[in-house]
Amino acid sequence: MDREVLRRLEKLNQLQLTEEQKDAFLAFYGKQTEEMEILNTVDTENVERMVHVMPIFTVVREDKVIKKYSREDLQKGAPETTEGYWQVPRLVE
Amino acid sequence: MELYISKNEKAKGKTVALDDMILTNEYPTTAGSKMLEGYMSLFNAEVVDRLKNAGYEIGGKANVGELCIDLLGETSYFGATENADGALMTASSELVKKGDALAAIGLDANGTPRRAAALNGQVCVKPTYGTVSRFGTISIACSGETVSVTANTVSAVKEILDVIAGHDDKDGTSLSEEKCALVKSSAEFSSAKKVAVARSITDSADEATKAVIAKAKAAFEAKGIAVEEVDDSVLLTAKNAWNILMSAELCNNVSRYDGVKYGYRTKNYTTIDELYTNSRTEAFGDLLKTAILFGSETLSTENYMKMYDKGLRIRRVLVEKFAEIFETYDAVLMPASTKTVYTKADTDANKYIAYDENLYTAPASITGLPVVVAGGVQLIGKAFSENVLFDLAKTLEGDGK
Repeated sequence: MDREVLRRLEKLNQLQLTEEQKDAFLAFYGKQTEEMEILNTVDTENVERMVHVMPIFTVVREDKVIKKYSREDLQKGAPETTEGYWQVPRLVE
Repeated sequence: MELYISKNEKAKGKTVALDDMILTNEYPTTAGSKMLEGYMSLFNAEVVDRLKNAGYEIGGKANVGELCIDLLGETSYFGATENADGALMTASSELVKKGDALAAIGLDANGTPRRAAALNGQVCVKPTYGTVSRFGTISIACSGETVSVTANTVSAVKEILDVIAGHDDKDGTSLSEEKCALVKSSAEFSSAKKVAVARSITDSADEATKAVIAKAKAAFEAKGIAVEEVDDSVLLTAKNAWNILMSAELCNNVSRYDGVKYGYRTKNYTTIDELYTNSRTEAFGDLLKTAILFGSETLSTENYMKMYDKGLRIRRVLVEKFAEIFETYDAVLMPASTKTVYTKADTDANKYIAYDENLYTAPASITGLPVVVAGGVQLIGKAFSENVLFDLAKTLEGDGK
């Protein structure tokens, strides 16, 4: 991975690394990809992916309201609100 | 460093400490991160309600490493926890050790509670995936993480597991009540007759750790339980496969922390992109940033098949390998870490050390199998075999230190 790919990765994840952190990440990534070669020692071509370790698929419960929070409750932890809305910078000029 | 981030000063009697990954409506839940400093949940985690309904008191919220993915809590925004000997140790493990709490509830996303219990000579259970509700736990690696229980004795761990295990409609991965009942102490079981030692994983540890494994082996043999080494070389792949899956899931789970609806918001922004980026950049620590970026890259178009997809296929290979071992053996014995003591010098020298130490904890994380830690070692069993593992652990409890 080069610094340009890392720059795109940072942007995608809304993060900004310092130069020192970038060096550390690239070294970490290099080590992980090197070590990952061990995975290729196992032939998995005919092995099915296992997403769930337990046989549970698409669990849906009855669609009913079981608890209701007020707008005030839901906004208690908000960094900024205005007139009952979450406040963010202007998105459209 | 205070062990509790928030403490219930009135707690007396049967007190349980909660890792600060478990949501409570009485105390803030920080996940050890500046991002959630002071965050108050509107509701309790299901395990908290179950404990309170059963008459237990919540002792408070124990300091944890940021999002609980580190070695032993060293990445907490509120500071690392060290024990009296200057070794790194999780706050919840120390609270139990000191007798301030009967037990501690943690979230085993990356092996931290198991590692701590093994190093601190305690008993810990990471129950079969799906038998304890994860509703109200801060999500990190949903496909493998479980609520865990740590205490000083097997009986105390069993007592708490009996209370918190059970079906919960609010958790889409919760198993049926009938299945959950299999991990409770009332379920019938047959005592173990044969235990396998994971040879390659044990060989990766240092001499002091190997001696702990040898001691456990001798204790089992003295009880007439056969202990044999098995070829576990394929289990060595669990570390890298889990590093991929855990990081990929984490990267998605922490995308919700953006400084808009709750949590930390930077003061340094004019645009929405700056709000997101600067909030996350200022609030997240180094290890978490690394895990997010790594996880994101494993899901990229270029790497998806060779990393994430490969990890999911390796998971099945590992599940099948364990099933093969359990055709002959009742449990797999292995270390929980490379060394028997870690200090700040270790994590300063390698801040990604938890990714390396996953060699020991990832096999059970990625497969969802139950683990009981006792006497400084891990005992991994087939799904729902908690009672078999607890029975084995009684032979070892107190031997870790």
